[in-house]
Amino acid sequence: MQKLMAGLVVGVISIFAVSAGFALMQQMTRQFTLQSLSGNDISVEQALLVAQGAIDACKKDNSVITVAVVDHVGGVRFIVRGDGASPEMVDNARRKAYTARTFRQPTSTWMEHTAIDAVDEKGKPIDLNGQQMLENTIAQKGGIPIIWHNDAIGGVGVTGSKGGGEADEACAKAGADAISDQLF
Amino acid sequence: MSHRSLMLKAAAAAAVLMIAPQAAQAQSSGLTSEQALAAMRAVQAYAKNDGSDPSLAVIDRDGNTVLLLQGNNAAPHNLGLAQRKAFTANQFKMRSIDWRDRTKPGQPQASERETPNAIPLGGGVPIMVGNEVIGAVGVSGTKGGQEGDTAGAQAGADAAAALVKRLQAQN
Repeated sequence: MQKLMAGLVVGVISIFAVSAGFALMQQMTRQFTLQSLSGNDISVEQALLVAQGAIDACKKDNSVITVAVVDHVGGVRFIVRGDGASPEMVDNARRKAYTARTFRQPTSTWMEHTAIDAVDEKGKPIDLNGQQMLENTIAQKGGIPIIWHNDAIGGVGVTGSKGGGEADEACAKAGADAISDQLF
Repeated sequence: MSHRSLMLKAAAAAAVLMIAPQAAQAQSSGLTSEQALAAMRAVQAYAKNDGSDPSLAVIDRDGNTVLLLQGNNAAPHNLGLAQRKAFTANQFKMRSIDWRDRTKPGQPQASERETPNAIPLGGGVPIMVGNEVIGAVGVSGTKGGQEGDTAGAQAGADAAAALVKRLQAQN
């Protein structure tokens, strides 16, 4: 009987040890995901988490979105087109992600900053409207940069949510936040 | 029953008849994001065995993009190449490696190689449901060269087709 109890205790302890070890390993894999890439780039694994975060956030009002994640040079890392979305939405989402990445700010902020009548805090005209003429950029809400150590290592763009540009951007933000615990 | 309401009923019946096949068509022609993601996971599983990190593209039967994925250590050409392989498989309704062999210089079909966007390289596989092509998967960047890319894309196309067949069995 005593032997049985001892065996049971050892068994329970080893199950705990194994599961704790497994959790630690999972944590380490998550943390090393980013470091495994050179040049502080967003990985495939992270891009899929970002996309999933955006899709989940937009599911709340049954929106079917198209989401794009670009890497640190603005190239496509991952895109998935929502069911029934027009083919153009793929490039629309990509351009939102690209714009957020390259200017390191949400596309809504960038739109205000580069508006034709934008002024600085002293009321002086900023006159950065020319930025909106750059190839691959798009003056639409729905792009969020993925920031690590004050630099953008990628961007996420969302299009097609029921709430329009503002909702697109909220979902994109939810996507970027989905990996914020990995970026340290 | 008045003549007028009979006419209305006939018109309504005609409208239902006209809409029904269109809806059925729409359902069968669209490759869903779920099917594309299943293809992606199958390609990734293949790549894990292979120790590689490929890029891939999934397109629908109209040649439009449903999913794109660039591998972590991909060369700049990989994703665009995956797209062109998928395009080739979908356009010619055969594996791009077979199309490559069919269009070798000197063959009667050699001039097919002039098709814009098509590429005579293995790695594009059509997604087949019965005899019907409903899209294609293109893979670039596995370890096995064109044969490896073809095997990876085949795994992806099979996974997507399996989902479509399951959906059809339910209906």
